[in-house]
Amino acid sequence: MDGIIGEYREPTDAGPRVTLVFYPGAFPVKWNQCSVAADFFAEYFADVGASGLVEEAERRDFVGSVGYVLNELIENAVKFCAGGTVVIDAGVEAGEFVVVVSNQIVGAAVDGLRVKFAELLDGDPAELLMQRVEENAANPELTTSGLGFLTMLSDYKARLGWRFDPAPGNPDNALLKTTARLQVKSP
Amino acid sequence: MTDTTSRPSGSDTDIKGPGYRVWFDAPSRTIHFEGVLRLSTSEYKPIEDMLDRVLLESPALGLRMTELAFLNSSGINMLYKFAIAARKKGDTEIKVHGSSTIPWQGKSLPNLKKFLPPIVIALD
Repeated sequence: MDGIIGEYREPTDAGPRVTLVFYPGAFPVKWNQCSVAADFFAEYFADVGASGLVEEAERRDFVGSVGYVLNELIENAVKFCAGGTVVIDAGVEAGEFVVVVSNQIVGAAVDGLRVKFAELLDGDPAELLMQRVEENAANPELTTSGLGFLTMLSDYKARLGWRFDPAPGNPDNALLKTTARLQVKSP
Repeated sequence: MTDTTSRPSGSDTDIKGPGYRVWFDAPSRTIHFEGVLRLSTSEYKPIEDMLDRVLLESPALGLRMTELAFLNSSGINMLYKFAIAARKKGDTEIKVHGSSTIPWQGKSLPNLKKFLPPIVIALD
């Protein structure tokens, strides 16, 4: 069940770092709370000195990009969470915003996700995004858009990675960690 | 366990929910998107239905995004699918007004042209 796909990186204590843990078992996370949590991280890291954001336009771009990417990651984690906690661990170091979002998924989903994630990184994201939207338009009954990771890769130039581990205390589940990295100042 | 209910209200051409409003101004044939739209895919259905209906009635349409601070990927999916529907319908004149100071718009609105080449995208 172990394995890494893409570029997997965790934040370290070398720079400013914040970790937030949701316990959805006791308190189901509402959809708009994903948004609130994402915006908190975006605003917090925009104002740490290590980010070096001085210009208003740079700050705005950082808050918009981190807010978008993190909201997508948290929405995914909350949507597919199969018990346990949802953990958001983020930091800024060496000019990069790094985040890992962890949640448990059902073990049976691992093989399919592994294939899906590898395909995302192998193809041209702009091309894959076009194909996916055309498919979505042709199949209105689909309940997920599948555009989260594709827009992160294509429009935000995020670098993504995934790691699968056994879920602590639950042999039926796997622990999925998704990491995204963004340049603090977009090139 | 996800609670995705956000209870939209209003009429079928004026959809309001917590932190957002999407409404059609008939005289100017413009759909206004306002606030923060981070709904789940199924929650976009009332807005999607309104876009489809308005497209059927008026081939010339404006989409005003200058007050829409955030849109998640499910919302971007809705917008791109609307562009595909307009392409399939043919003979449409659609203009999008956005703002270059809202980061998602500069990054994701230009893709609309890939789905609907004649669309006009103006970022203030």
